[in-house]
Amino acid sequence: MDPLLSVRGLTVTFGSFTAVEDVSFDIHAGQTLAVVGESGSGKSVTALSIMRLVELGTRGKIEAGEILFRNSDGEVIDLVRQREDQMREIRGNQISMIFQEPLTSLNPVYSVGDQVAEAVILHQGLDKEAANERVLDMFRLVRIPEPEERMAQFPHEMSGGMRQRVMIAMALSCDPKVLIADEPTTALDVTIQAQILGLMRDLREQTGAAVLIITHDMGVVAEVADDVVVMNRAKVVERGPVTQIFESATEPYTQALLASVPRLGSMTGLDKPAPFELVEYQP
Amino acid sequence: MKQITARIAWSLGLILAVIVMCFTLIHLAPGDVAIVIAGDSGAGDPEVIAEIREDLGLDQPFVVQLGGYVGDVAQGDLGTSYRFNEPVTDLITTRLWPTFLLVGTAVSFAIVLGVLVGVFTARRPENPISHGVTVFSLTGYSMPVFWTGLMLVIMFASNVRWFPVSGMRDVRLDGNWLEEWIDIAHHLVLPSITLGVIYLAQYSRLSRASMLEVLQSDYVRTARAKGLAERRVVYKHALRNAVIPVVTVAGLQFGQMLSGALLVETVFNWPGLGRLASDSVFQRDAPVLLGILICSASLVVIINILTDLVYRLIDPRIRVGGAS
Ligand SMILES: Nc1ncnc2c1ncn2[C@@H]1O[C@H](COP(=O)(O)OP(=O)(O)OP(=O)(O)O)[C@@H](O)[C@H]1O
Ligand SMILES: [Mg+2]
Repeated sequence: MDPLLSVRGLTVTFGSFTAVEDVSFDIHAGQTLAVVGESGSGKSVTALSIMRLVELGTRGKIEAGEILFRNSDGEVIDLVRQREDQMREIRGNQISMIFQEPLTSLNPVYSVGDQVAEAVILHQGLDKEAANERVLDMFRLVRIPEPEERMAQFPHEMSGGMRQRVMIAMALSCDPKVLIADEPTTALDVTIQAQILGLMRDLREQTGAAVLIITHDMGVVAEVADDVVVMNRAKVVERGPVTQIFESATEPYTQALLASVPRLGSMTGLDKPAPFELVEYQP
Repeated sequence: MKQITARIAWSLGLILAVIVMCFTLIHLAPGDVAIVIAGDSGAGDPEVIAEIREDLGLDQPFVVQLGGYVGDVAQGDLGTSYRFNEPVTDLITTRLWPTFLLVGTAVSFAIVLGVLVGVFTARRPENPISHGVTVFSLTGYSMPVFWTGLMLVIMFASNVRWFPVSGMRDVRLDGNWLEEWIDIAHHLVLPSITLGVIYLAQYSRLSRASMLEVLQSDYVRTARAKGLAERRVVYKHALRNAVIPVVTVAGLQFGQMLSGALLVETVFNWPGLGRLASDSVFQRDAPVLLGILICSASLVVIINILTDLVYRLIDPRIRVGGAS
């Protein structure tokens, strides 16, 4: 089957600095691709490039490559060559994104309900009332307790986990075909992390969306991913189905990443927990 | 609500302190009012002077005078002008609204235009207009009020005669209310530009800086990621956050602006409180001067409370948290 989204030879620069170099991967409908790699390896920049947000608000530039997307009409279009007004039709509608920073990604001066409703009104042409109904449904879907009261709240009145759910509700409100989640759980504590991941898996199964999840955490990868792309220093260093990566990673960098995941029972027989080995990798 | 009540109580205390301080200062100032009044009516006779003193209660001990005055003020009585022999409250109320009109127009002009300029220059920093604006706001910030005023008069009132040189109305005009208002607006242009231009310069720099910061924020990126048009991103999501510091500064600067109005009123012969104040200084008209001081102190306090309310309206974080 043809991929839903296919990134080919993507290169992104900030001035003379190359943040992403010749990156390629495919994502299929109903599947989850995990992009892993250490901090600064270009994961977020790759995601923002798919949304075409690197050239908007930052000094980034897509130097080369194409991002082929099969849109809702079944046509394959190159996102890199879309005009800004064409991209606005796609953003938040066919492709949406959950950002790395749940605490600061909501506007402090508008209620969370209004912020989610805005996307629905824009893309689905609903009136205010119908949009609020939709928001309510979404809040229930992402299991925000007391959704009616929550809608009227402002971001500062909510916990980090609730804000992240609002972001997820916003991202899902227009039934996107591709959901990009940039470290959706890093800022949250482990129990909430597990809930949010479970939520994303359910949603993918229900709507058949493709998910691109970015993470540092090999534990999360094992949990949700079908395929894995490993990035290091702006480049893809390894790719493959998740089982293959976990069983027979060939790249030393990937092996080092995997070694950093604690395994149940790995410390039996020791008096006290042994320190983890730090990831050191030189290409 | 509780906070607002506390603010009001605190403000009343502040005004009382202002009254006591001003009253004491004026009392300590050299020169005897009775002599001035007597001299003015042509009689320097000590008996007349003593009589005037008694009339005005100036022969009483200071504390009694002060106590009496505070009591009167509490009942809304600011005394009688030595000079005009009219109640001070009447004198002030007739002069208050021209000053209000001037300051209000200048503030609105400075905030609205300043924010628009700030937004424009933040979005298009490389545009030649933005460079021009930067230079202008630097010079605007350092121009003294009376100099700007005189330059504007020379350019637009003497050379091209677009605007009147001074005053608030054309005495020859005899028209309906609409024509009268147009006439006042016409007179208002130069003074309010003179007063507003310094603040315009400040607010445009301030809103540019805060707009630049807000445009880099994560929530603006979220707004863009929803697929909103850039115009809506800027004017709905960014602007409301970006004006918060401007509103704060404008509220704090109100007192400064009121004293700026005094200078502008002198340059343009504007019939406001500033003119009344400078006249009463020269004529040793203590009740009027005191009245004006109390009135402006109260205004500053009221505006500060209003700013707080506006601030709460714009920023929901203040509404609930209650911290500030
Ligand atoms: N707006 C920007 N301007 C300049 N450089 C940037 C910008 N955004 C990212 N970069 C640079 O691009 C590189 C890749 O950044 P990116 O945010 O993609 O890393 P990441 O893999 O997401 O890291 P993390 O795991 O910490 O989120 C970094 O070196 C970063 O400094
Ligand atoms: Mg990142």
